Amino acid sequence: MRNIIVCIKIVPKAEDMNFDPETRTMKRGGVENQINEADKNAIELSLRIKEKSGGRVVLLSMGPPFFDQYLKIGIAMGADDAILLSDRLFAGADTFATSATLSAAVRKIGDYDLVLCGEETSDGGTGQVPSQLAELLDLPQMLFVSEADIDGNSVKARRTIKGGYETVESGMPAVLSIELGINQPRFPDFRRKRWADKEFSLTVWSASDLGIKPELTGTSGSYTIVKRLTEFSTHQRQRISVAGTVEQQADKIMEILRESR
Amino acid sequence: MNRKEIWVYLERNQEEIEEVSLEILGKANELGKKSGMPVVGVVLGNDPGDLGNIALKHGADVVIFLKDPLLESYSTEDYTKALFEMIGKRTPEIFLLGATYQGRDLAGRLSARLRTGLTANVVSLDIGEDGYLLSGVPGYGSKVLAEIVCVRNKPQMSTVRPGIFNKTVIPNEAGIVEVVDIDLKDSVSRVKVLSRKVEKHPDLSRAEKVVIAGNGVEGNLDMVARLADILGARLGVSRPIADKGKASRELQVGSTGYSLNAKLVLIFGVSGAEHFLPGIANCQTVISINVDRESGIFEYSDYCIVADASKIIPILLKEGGDR
Ligand SMILES: Cc1cc2nc3c(=O)[nH]c(=O)nc-3n(C[C@H](O)[C@H](O)[C@H](O)COP(=O)(O)OP(=O)(O)OC[C@H]3O[C@@H](n4cnc5c(N)ncnc54)[C@H](O)[C@@H]3O)c2cc1C
Ligand SMILES: Cc1cc2nc3c(=O)[nH]c(=O)nc-3n(C[C@H](O)[C@H](O)[C@H](O)COP(=O)(O)OP(=O)(O)OC[C@H]3O[C@@H](n4cnc5c(N)ncnc54)[C@H](O)[C@@H]3O)c2cc1C
Repeated sequence: MRNIIVCIKIVPKAEDMNFDPETRTMKRGGVENQINEADKNAIELSLRIKEKSGGRVVLLSMGPPFFDQYLKIGIAMGADDAILLSDRLFAGADTFATSATLSAAVRKIGDYDLVLCGEETSDGGTGQVPSQLAELLDLPQMLFVSEADIDGNSVKARRTIKGGYETVESGMPAVLSIELGINQPRFPDFRRKRWADKEFSLTVWSASDLGIKPELTGTSGSYTIVKRLTEFSTHQRQRISVAGTVEQQADKIMEILRESR
Repeated sequence: MNRKEIWVYLERNQEEIEEVSLEILGKANELGKKSGMPVVGVVLGNDPGDLGNIALKHGADVVIFLKDPLLESYSTEDYTKALFEMIGKRTPEIFLLGATYQGRDLAGRLSARLRTGLTANVVSLDIGEDGYLLSGVPGYGSKVLAEIVCVRNKPQMSTVRPGIFNKTVIPNEAGIVEVVDIDLKDSVSRVKVLSRKVEKHPDLSRAEKVVIAGNGVEGNLDMVARLADILGARLGVSRPIADKGKASRELQVGSTGYSLNAKLVLIFGVSGAEHFLPGIANCQTVISINVDRESGIFEYSDYCIVADASKIIPILLKEGGDR
């Protein structure tokens, strides 16, 4: 088994994010970040594949320099290496420009059998990167995967489809997107974390390191433009509190049910 | 001369067209009238059957059936190839697909090959004064709506969330179905389907009444399902219940599940996370039961009931006439 590249995005915690109607932006002050949840499931899956079939787990993330601390958490979970793609040119990327930049890095890492992504992120949440990345790398894609097994030179996976699932197989290398919640991601190992913080040296690549044309990255490499952000308006609920004994509460529920008929 | 067209991908489900494709056709028809562009439904397969006529009844002006034995069942790479060729020939302005497993799988790959913009899980669509498609994309679960345009290339592509637009019958006597033999010769698919297991579930987004079970009633799912039955409601679940394999994904409510349009929902043991809330945003009346007085779900409920679900459900079952 050769390299298993796991693409991870660092995202703000959704419950911390608030819309500022004045500036029409998201308030980021005091916001906690984390490795995107589905990406943690992808890391866990990669480590299990490695334990069974060998190979090296390489984490790959595009984002600002402060992402380094989260990549080190991934190293402490058991990943062998981590690469951060960081350059002012990368800012403002839509999913296509993100995929173009990631694909250049995957090619530069080289010698890989699998590229794993999460099914989608908790912020942009488009789920578009895995299939765009697969196309740009000219690799087969299997999305919404809940189980994956290596068998010689091929990968067998179970993927969710409407109403159920399929078992699919393809040769490697291949791109897989991993379903959120399919496993329990292990905790970072305490000693490995200390080592990672002190001695592990993270690789950081800029656009010129990747040899990617600046016009293919960031805002200039994007095909979509966000015109504006608005607050998602859901209508106000009545918030009527139903007190009393549990029997009285149940009676009230039955009454509402009857009335709504 | 090339006419400007709005294309809608018609996702096949055996002999039927997926509901979301018909929902999109209805919306596309409205956009078509506004902008003067005809709506073209595009369906891939080997046997046109009656699919074309169904689409013509729901808002399509024209249906293109891309025909080849290799297109009988869906594969990312063969479908991408066929559509890429056809789009190259007819250069549509807009291409809309359902944000289903298949629609998202296809749209990502195709948009990258076309080098064009793609917006995801769209919940609103309009054509701006400048003539560009404006799509509303939710972010951070359901906190914001990003209005996104694609001005650099054509077609402007979007995947549209199921259960947002309404399917409508729009009579169309003059509509035509063009069957195009595309002759793919050999499959380019590198992914082999070994087996498939699917169940048919009625569309949760159209249910009138839904009882939702969350993590707080994980141990009492049978009881909640029984209650749904008695009340003539459909069962829905929060994501963790589906993740644990205790219910089908087809029952999942939320940003990665269904958006409900129910008159009434009864919610047990759900905390009201950002990614759950878009699932109930369009419901008329929301009743929530949670042991935690401070639970976030109450902010999004019409009736807030602080109670232990395992105590109140047996009473509801009895009052509902359970033996
Ligand atoms: C509210 C909102 C709406 C948006 N809508 C659109 C839109 O409709 N179309 C569009 O093109 N862009 C959109 N964007 C921009 C988009 O979010 C960014 O391009 C982002 O860099 C990647 O998209 P995503 O977060 O949706 O990733 P997804 O496609 O959801 O991510 C899937 C997986 O890809 C990998 N991945 C994604 N980003 C990275 C990264 N930076 N580094 C490493 N791995 C990564 C991870 O494994 C991740 O789990 C939107 C952004 C916001 C905030
Ligand atoms: C990208 C992304 C997409 C997601 N998509 C979805 C989605 O589509 N749908 C979705 O649901 N989630 C989704 N999630 C997950 C979401 O963030 C939450 O984790 C999830 O909604 C929590 O489910 P829950 O409310 O059932 O469980 P919990 O948060 O564990 O809440 C359980 C609740 O039950 C209450 N409770 C406990 N015992 C009882 C009792 N005896 N009686 C009554 N109440 C009790 C508790 O007080 C608590 O409020 C997504 C997450 C991400 C990151």
